[in-house]
Amino acid sequence: MATQSKQAPLFIDHEMCTECRMCYVVCREIDLNAVVIAPEAQHLYEIDERCIYPGCTVCLMYCPAPGSIVETSTGRSLVPPPADVHTDELKWPRKAPKS
Amino acid sequence: MLEPILQDFLDKWVYPTGFSGPGAEFRLKETERFIPVWNNVVIGALHKANEQLNSENEDWKRNGALGGYSGEGPHMSIKQMSTQLLSVSIPQQAKYIDLQRMRARQVWDEVKHGSLHADILLRGGWIKKETELLDDPRAANQGDPAYFGLTAMVPHIHPLSRAGQNYLEEAVACLRLISVLSVMEDPLVRHENDSQLLEEMMHFIEGKYQIDAYALTPEDQEPIKAVFDYLLRPWGRSAAHAKEAEHAKK
Repeated sequence: MATQSKQAPLFIDHEMCTECRMCYVVCREIDLNAVVIAPEAQHLYEIDERCIYPGCTVCLMYCPAPGSIVETSTGRSLVPPPADVHTDELKWPRKAPKS
Repeated sequence: MLEPILQDFLDKWVYPTGFSGPGAEFRLKETERFIPVWNNVVIGALHKANEQLNSENEDWKRNGALGGYSGEGPHMSIKQMSTQLLSVSIPQQAKYIDLQRMRARQVWDEVKHGSLHADILLRGGWIKKETELLDDPRAANQGDPAYFGLTAMVPHIHPLSRAGQNYLEEAVACLRLISVLSVMEDPLVRHENDSQLLEEMMHFIEGKYQIDAYALTPEDQEPIKAVFDYLLRPWGRSAAHAKEAEHAKK
């Protein structure tokens, strides 16, 4: 799997990222699995083509490091999330499990 | 009237939410209880920082590094974490598989946290070797009752309990650090606070995420609410932080 692809709509700025792995955890929780641990270098976290941004912005809500996730097409920093990326329509619905 | 530092923190980090549903609703409802506390934390931290800036000597820098900004100086944070490894029972492993990994990461964060304060004492010339701190009680005590820590009476009683302390208390840490950084220019103080801010932000976000994603039933919310209730009691850690503002107003 190619990582940190120019075709992925988001990329991680490793100068700003703290490698806390919250984006990885969140993306896996919703079964997109677009954040991956790169097989080379220092096992840095990267984003691949499975990312469906702007259709999903959930990783941006739980990234604690300003400037570390960037919109590929514009270079715009998305952490902390600008108002246009945390609308109600973009929230992933969570429901209580049926007992 | 909210302090601008708190309003900015709420808008950037508290209110943006990745999930809808009962977890996020519970978090935002509980947050209403914390806002007055958090606001007082900012008021108190700004007052204390300004007092320190007007101090006639630099003892406050050394004392700040010995005690840490929240009673977790060079040796307390890792001592606390050793009591806080999370056990998840076999039937719950599928549900909470990532919580143990987040705990493990925070243990490593606390190692760096303690080292940071020791670095400040070394760079400031107050010690020559970190081992000198082993005999200094100021580097190894904590006065406020946290829910988890050496002052705690309970182990992790529920996998989500720590999310409560991380959300409420690590926000306090972030707000104090941001407040100090807003007025301090001293490079040693900025190093200590700036370096710590991202780590505390990470722990706060971890709590936020765990509540939004996992606290979906009254049964899962109850242990988190118990942590909030504990910390907000008059002798609790969050309430103790907020008292700084009362001191400031006098």
